[in-house]
Amino acid sequence: MFKFIKQYAETIDNVSIYPIISLFIFLIFFIVLLIYVKKMGKERITTLSNLPLEDEEKNNSTL
Amino acid sequence: MQVEKFYYDNKIVRNFAFATAIWGAVGMLVGLWVALQLVFPSLNITQYFSFGRLRPLHTNAVIFAFVGNGIFMGVYYSLQRLCKARMYSDKLSYIHFWGWQLIIVAAAISLPIGLTNGAEYAELIWPIDIAIAIIWVVFGWNMFGTIIKRRERHLYVAIWFYIATFVTVAVLHIVRSFELPYSWLHSYSVFAGVQDALVQWWYGHNAVAFFLTTPYLGLMYYFMPKAANRPVYSYRLSIIHFWSLIFLYIWAGPHHLLYTALPNWAQSIGIVFSFMLIFPSWGGMINGLLTLRGAWDRVRDDVILKFMVVAVTAYGMATFEGPMLSLKSVSAVAHYTDWIVAHVHVGALGWNGMLTFGVLYWLIPRIYKTTLFSKKIANLHFWLGTLGILFWAIPMYWAGFTQSSMWKQFTEAGQLKYTFLETVTYMKPFYAMRSLGGTLYLVGVLFMIWNLYKTVRSGVLVANEAAEAAPLEKEFVAHKGEHWHRLIERKPIQFLILSLVVILIGGAIEMIPTFLIKENVPSISSVKPYTPLELQGRDLYVREGCYVCHSQMIRPFRTETERYGEYSKAGEFVYDHPFQWGSKRTGPDLAREGSSANGGRLKKTNGWHFRHFREPSSMSEGSVMPAYPFMLENDLDISTTAAKINAMRTLGVPYEKGYEKIANEDLADQAKLIADDLRSDSIRVSPKKEVIALIAYMQRLGRDISKNKTATFNR
Repeated sequence: MFKFIKQYAETIDNVSIYPIISLFIFLIFFIVLLIYVKKMGKERITTLSNLPLEDEEKNNSTL
Repeated sequence: MQVEKFYYDNKIVRNFAFATAIWGAVGMLVGLWVALQLVFPSLNITQYFSFGRLRPLHTNAVIFAFVGNGIFMGVYYSLQRLCKARMYSDKLSYIHFWGWQLIIVAAAISLPIGLTNGAEYAELIWPIDIAIAIIWVVFGWNMFGTIIKRRERHLYVAIWFYIATFVTVAVLHIVRSFELPYSWLHSYSVFAGVQDALVQWWYGHNAVAFFLTTPYLGLMYYFMPKAANRPVYSYRLSIIHFWSLIFLYIWAGPHHLLYTALPNWAQSIGIVFSFMLIFPSWGGMINGLLTLRGAWDRVRDDVILKFMVVAVTAYGMATFEGPMLSLKSVSAVAHYTDWIVAHVHVGALGWNGMLTFGVLYWLIPRIYKTTLFSKKIANLHFWLGTLGILFWAIPMYWAGFTQSSMWKQFTEAGQLKYTFLETVTYMKPFYAMRSLGGTLYLVGVLFMIWNLYKTVRSGVLVANEAAEAAPLEKEFVAHKGEHWHRLIERKPIQFLILSLVVILIGGAIEMIPTFLIKENVPSISSVKPYTPLELQGRDLYVREGCYVCHSQMIRPFRTETERYGEYSKAGEFVYDHPFQWGSKRTGPDLAREGSSANGGRLKKTNGWHFRHFREPSSMSEGSVMPAYPFMLENDLDISTTAAKINAMRTLGVPYEKGYEKIANEDLADQAKLIADDLRSDSIRVSPKKEVIALIAYMQRLGRDISKNKTATFNR
C-alpha cells in the first residue's frame, strides 16, 4: 500500500488524483447522508428537536 | 416505570463559568497589552514580557483558558440535562476542573519565562502536553460515563458535537505533541521542515475547527433553543451540518501553506475542502438564526438573544471569509498580513466571545435561582462588545489590504516602492485603533463580571438541582428495519468510532504521503546541519518567539523574491526541528537573512545585528521590534549542547557519532570569530553571550543554497 502511495507522491503528474479521490469519498458520504436525512420520520424529528426544551417548565424566564 | 430522583451538579458548572469569565478577562488584557506593544515598543518590559513571549500567552489564554472553560461550562450544564443524569463522577469533575486550571497557571508561568515548543497554539512544553492529555481523558471519561448511564435514549445533536470534539482534539493533540525531550523542560518536534509544517497546520486549523467551533456549535444547538424557547429550526439540517462539517474540516489545514514549499497536491486538497466548508458552515448558521423564527421581536428586548444573534452572525461571516481566504489568489494577498488577524478575531471576539457571554447571562441566574442584577449593564456590555469588534476588525482589515499592497508595489523603474520598515511604521495608527476596539471589548467584559458578581450575591447556588426521570429500559427492542444511523445515535461508543473514522480519513490521506515525502522532498546537497552555535542560536530564536512576527518562507512571487531573495525550497528545511516558517510578517521575512545572494541586499554585518538586538530603533528608526539587551548580558547555556546534538541525531540530523563531545569546542571557535569581528566594529562583547549565538543563526539563514549557486537539486 505504501508503495502505491509513494508512487503518486513521487510523480507530480499523477498526484493530482488525490484531491479527486478525496472529493469522491466525500461525495458518496454526502449522498448517503442526504438520503438518510430525507428518510427520517417527522415524528422522530420533532421528538429529537424538543429534547433540550423538556425541563423548561420549571424555570422559564429568570431575566 | 418507576421514576428516579436525582440531582444535577451545578457546582461544577458554576466553577467553569467563573473560570471562563476570569480567564477571559486575563487573556484579553494580555491581548490588549501585546496590541499596545506594537504601538509603543517600550511596553516590552524585561525579557519576560516581550511581544514574542506574551503573544503566545494571549492566544493560549484565549483559546484554552477562556474558550476551554467556556466549553466545559456549557458541556457540563447541557450534557446532564440532555442525558437526564448527574455527571458520571463528582471526583472526575473535580480533577478535570482543577487539573485544567493548573495547566493554565503552568502556561501562564512557562510562556513568559521562555519555555516553548515554538509551534503556534502548541507552544506548551512537553510535561504540560502530557498533563493536557491526561486531563482531556478525564473529561472524556466523565462525559462518556454520563452518556452511558443516561436516562434519555436519544443523543441530541449537541452531544454529537461534544463527542466529535473530544475524539478529534485528542488525536490532534497527541500527533502535534510528538516531540523528543532533551531535558525536563525542552524538546524538539520529531517532524522537520515541510512535514512539521503540515502537521502544524493540520493541528492549527483543526484547533480552530474542533476547539473553537464544534463544541461551540454544540452549545449553540442547546442554548439557542433554550434562550429562544423553541426547538432548533431544522433537526435534519443539523445532522447534515454535523457530519459534513467534521468530514470536511479535517482536510482544510494546508490552506495555511499556499504558495509555500508544501507539495502542490496537498495545497489543492486544502483549497477544495476549505471552499466546500462554506456549505455546512452556512447551513449551521442559518439553522441557528432561523431558530428564532417567530421570536425576532424578542431579540429587541432580550439581551441574551442579542448576544447569540451577533455570535451566530459572526460565525457566518468568519466561515464565509475562511473559504475565500483559502483561494490561492486571495491567499496571495492576505497571507502574512493583518487581514488574517482580523479574520480570527471576528471568530474569537464575535463567535466565541459573544456566545460565551450569552450563555453566562442565561446560566448564572438559573443556577443561582435569581434574576440578573442589571439588564441595563448587560445591554451596555452588548453594545461595548459589538462596537469593540467593529473597532477592532475594521482597522485591521484596512491594515491588511494596505500592508499587502505596499509590499507588492513597484516603481516605474521596476524597483520595490517601499522598504519593509516604511510599511511597518505606516501600520501604527491602525494598531492604535485596534487597541481602542480591544479596550471597548474588555471594558464590556469587566462590566459583565461585575454584573454577574452582583447576581451571584443576590442568589444562592443550587449546588444540587433535583430532577426526575424514568430509567432506560434494559432491553431495548429495536424497530423492525431500523436505520443504521438511528442505531448509532443511541450508541455513544459506536458514534465515537464512526466520527473517529471520518476524521481519520482526511488526516491519513494528507499525512501518509507527506510522511513518505521525507525521501521525496528534493534534497539539496549544499544544505548542511546547523553548527552547534547556530543550533543554540536557533533555540534562542524559538525561545523568544521570533516566529510570531517573522516568517522564514519566501513565496514564489516577484514581489517577494525582489525583496527577500530566491523563493524557499522544501529541501532547505530538512533539519529544522521545529519548522519556523511563521504565519505573519509584522517584521520582514528572514529566510535569506544571512544570504549574500540577491546582490547581498539582505546581508548585514555582525555589528548591525548586535546593535539591532540591543536597540532595534537605533538601526531601523520607528521599528516596533522589542529590544533584547538581556541577550547581551546573559551567558549562553552550553551545558545543553551535547543533549541537543544527541536529540537531533536521533531525529535523523546527520551529526557524526561522538560529535556531541567536541561540539562545544566548535561552538567556542565560531563564537570567538564573531566576537573578534564585532571588536573590529568597535563592539566589545564576550563570545559567551547569548547574542553571539543568535547572530550566528541569523548569518546562517538561507546561506546554504546561495553558497553553492549551482547546487544540484536531487530528486
